[in-house]
This record gives sequence, structure tokens and C-alpha cells, in this order.
Amino acid sequence: MATLVSRRIDWTGIVFAVLLTIAIIGPLLVVGIWAFTNVWRFPSIIPQEFGLRWWSATLARADVWSSISMSLTLASVVTLLSAIICLPAAYAFARLDFPGRDILFFSFLAGHAFPKFGLLVAIAAIFLQLNLIGTFWGVVLIQLVGTLLFMIWIPVAAFQAVDRRMEEAARDVGAGPFRVFWSITLPQAGPTIAAALLLSFVGTFYETEGAWLIGAPQVRTLPVLMISFINNQPVIQFGAVLSVLLWIPSFIALLFARRVVNSGSFARGFGG
Amino acid sequence: MRREPRPKRSQYSMTEHTAATVSVAGTRRGRKYAGLFLVAIPVFLVAWMVIWPILTAIPRSLMQVGTDGSTSFSFANYQFFFSDRYSLNNLTVTLWTTMVCAALLLVICLPLALYLRFTSNRIAAFVQSLAIFPMFVPSIILSYAFIRVLGPNGTVDLLLNGVGLPRIRSPYLTPWGPVIGLVWDNIPLTVLILVSGLGAVSNATIEAARDVGARRLAILWHIILPRITNSILVAISFGVLGIFSSFTLPYVLGPAAPEMMGPFMQRTFRDLQNPPMAITQAVITFAFCIVFGLFYIRSVAKNRTP
Repeated sequence: MATLVSRRIDWTGIVFAVLLTIAIIGPLLVVGIWAFTNVWRFPSIIPQEFGLRWWSATLARADVWSSISMSLTLASVVTLLSAIICLPAAYAFARLDFPGRDILFFSFLAGHAFPKFGLLVAIAAIFLQLNLIGTFWGVVLIQLVGTLLFMIWIPVAAFQAVDRRMEEAARDVGAGPFRVFWSITLPQAGPTIAAALLLSFVGTFYETEGAWLIGAPQVRTLPVLMISFINNQPVIQFGAVLSVLLWIPSFIALLFARRVVNSGSFARGFGG
Repeated sequence: MRREPRPKRSQYSMTEHTAATVSVAGTRRGRKYAGLFLVAIPVFLVAWMVIWPILTAIPRSLMQVGTDGSTSFSFANYQFFFSDRYSLNNLTVTLWTTMVCAALLLVICLPLALYLRFTSNRIAAFVQSLAIFPMFVPSIILSYAFIRVLGPNGTVDLLLNGVGLPRIRSPYLTPWGPVIGLVWDNIPLTVLILVSGLGAVSNATIEAARDVGARRLAILWHIILPRITNSILVAISFGVLGIFSSFTLPYVLGPAAPEMMGPFMQRTFRDLQNPPMAITQAVITFAFCIVFGLFYIRSVAKNRTP
């Protein structure tokens, strides 16, 4: 990209950088400081005592551990189920010709034409009749539906990008269809599919609205526990420590996804 | 994390390839059904849990259950909603929040996107990373951070107190709380969509305009804005869809009354145990968002060939 605005010092950039640092990094830094603070009473500008006291207190709570394991179980089950049903479907959309292929492919967009929480309420009404409210599998189902679009659309693009000539060459020298898929197709499509799986896992881990509407109070995930900490917990540090714990999956996603997000194709996927 | 990125389009036309690879005529018919078989479960899930709930939402909202368990159709739920002061206040605050957020997002993100499009140095790269960062912060952590910074005795109060100034009137638990949170949350995608749209504005066009003496504002108004109108509309539609029925941020940061439609629907459904009324509220949110929704998915679909 050529620089049209050429100046010695990029004052605009500096102003943006300072404002965004204050508005975006600032609040998160405050939470980070709170997490490692033993005592911080108003009106001291810096904490009176730093330390890890509240880490051991938080990690000693049974509700924290049960919601960590609930969140991890849910995210793993949903990601696994999603992979089992979506990857073959993605392969079919990318490679096979069948009646209604285009309309079925775009049908996954349907849910995105509606405000999400309204749709969740409409689904919840159906779950109510099926006695799925307040159950683990009810939450699994609602979160599974949330992963369908990107678990199909991303792998479809991955399968389409595989070099077909290599597959044909392998077939020419006598490789069977599974051998071709295993040795040629999968290694090439693999990294993109892994990204879709990671996205699905992280997205499910943080999914709050479906878990709250369908699962509460029986199914308590980490974000749901965090809501109750914000509403009812007088000790500030519990929430701060939980925030840091809660951020770990996002941080991992951040490390892997930055390159993808910065590319223009990502924004075009949102219609940009 | 509820959105879906889309990697680049393949240059292959797959029907051609399938036709080429399926050499035996007999297997072609089998393949047809193999494809349908492989996509059956996800398609069934979408039909059952997206299409079906949407189609049945309107009849469900019209259903009245009598005391003897019999059902009849009536507009009573809608009549109640549009005559109930509390419901109408909730709808009003939702519309207000959505409009204020959309306006703020444009005011913040358009200059940012213009800067990012026309500058390529290390500061711009840093600014871009900062603008995208909120995408990797779950809204529940954001809510907590907001309370610690802008809430009572938060960091802003601490700093103001430190220099001897009075405390702020905290936006926490006022309608401005969700506005600040939702804008923060929506900055990354708005910036990305606008930057992507600005990619369609060529440097040559702008240089040509500059050569004939156009000022910067004139260039923005006559050259750049007309070319990115579509991207602006997409960004607004996407924002409106997410904000109108947002739940977590208004639930945690907003006032107890009036509440936005998201928390209102949740409370009606779970706490008041009145699903038909909750569905009525959902149908009303659908009605307010349908134009944005259709426009949005049309834009996404246009960018993607199956």
C-alpha cells in the first residue's frame, strides 16, 4: 500500500495509538493488577500489597473447579461432535455434486439474518417442550448449532484449495480413495481445518447467552460463574483472578489467529 | 467469537472437476446421494433448530392457552406489549442504544479505517493490532474490566481523587453502560469491514482528484464515501444485528429498568416463565432487524460462491 499521507511524524497515528492504548489496554491492565493484589483500598492509587493470596483462595473454591471442568467438557464435546458431522459435510460441499447443493450450502447463513438472542428464545421454546431446558445436552445442542456455519464454510474453502492435480497424480499411481484423502488432501487442508476447530472450541468456551438461557442454573460454565461473581461477589479479587483464568483460551487463539484476522479475506467473510 | 471468517475463494470450479474425476457413469448416481447423505445431519440441525423455530415463532406468539388447557389464536400478546408502558420503555431503550452505538461506531471507526488504509508504517501496524484486540477479549471479561475502571471507586475515580477532582457520575447501571461496552466490543469487526471496503478505493483515483486540486474533505466526500457506502451499510447491519438483541453486556452493565430486549426476553422466559410472551418479544426484535439481517446475509453470500 502506497503512503498517500506522507509526513515526518505520524501525529494522527500517535494520537490513535495513545487513545486506543488507554481505552483498550488500560481496562484490561487494571484487571490484571487486581488479580495480583492482596490489599487495595480506596483512595490509594497503587495497591497497598501485591501478592498471590487470592489465587489460592479462588483455586480452592469448588464452584470454580466444577465450572472449569464443565466449560472444558462442553467445549470439547461440542467441537468433537461438530467436527464429526461438519467435516464430511464440508468435503461433500467442496467435492461432490448433489441436488440442492447451493441452497443447502447457503442455508447455514439463515440464522445470521436474525438477532441472535431472539433466535435463542425461539429455540428455547422448542427445548421447553422437549424437556431440554437445564440439561447438559440442551446446551450442547444450542452451542453445536452455533458452530455449524464456520465449521462448514471454512473447511469447504480448505478442501477447495487443495491441489487437485496432486490427488489425481496419486490416484494414477494406484492410491485408493482413502489413501489419497489421508496422504494428500488432509495434510494440505489440515492447517485451515485446525484453525476452524480452534475457533469452534474457543467460541463454545465463551458462549454465554445460550448457556445462560438454556443451561442455568444446573449447567454452570465459567462465563456463567463469572456473571454471578460480578453480580453477587463482594470480594473484587475473585472476579479478577477468574478473568485472568478465563482469558487463557482467548490468548491461545490470539497467538494462532492474528495472521488470519489481519488478512483481508477475513473481513470479506463478514460481507465487508 | 460467534462470527465466521472465510478464507479465499478457490479458482477451481468443482462441478467441472467432479465430472472429470467421476469416470464411471454408474457411480455418478451413487455420488449424488452420497453427497446428500454426508450433509444430512448439519442440514437437519439447521432446519430443526434455526428454520423451524423462526417459522413457528409467529404462530407460537399468537397462541393463547386457556385455563382449561385449550389453545386459541389471538393478538393478545402483541396488544399487551404495545400497550404496556414497561415493555415499550424497554423497546425504546433498545432502539436508543442501537442507534447511539451505531453512530458512535461510525464516528470512531471511520477515521480509524481511513488512517489504516492510507498509512503503512509501524505506528499504523500497532494501531491496527490495538483496534482488533477486543475481538480476543470475551465480553464477560470486558464487563468486569468496565466496572473496575468506570464503576464506583474504580480507577477513574481513584485518579480523579488523586488530583483532587470530584468523582464521575458512573455510567455503570445506566443506559450508557451497555453503550460503552457494546461499542468497545464491536470496534474490531467494524474497522475490519471498513478497511476491507476502503481497499476498493484506488490510490490512482485519489491522486487524480488531488492533481486537479481537490481538497482532502472534498476527496473524502466525493471520491471515498460513495465507493464505500456498501461497506458502511454492511458494518452498520452487522452491528445492529449484534447490538439489538445483545444479552451479556446489557444484563451486567445496564440498569434493571428499563432493560434492553435481550435481558427482557431472558427474564420473561426464565423468571416470569411466560414463553409465549418471550417469543412475542423475539418476533418484535426480528421485525425491527429483518431489513438489516437480509441485507447482511445478502452481502456475505455475494462474496462467496459455493
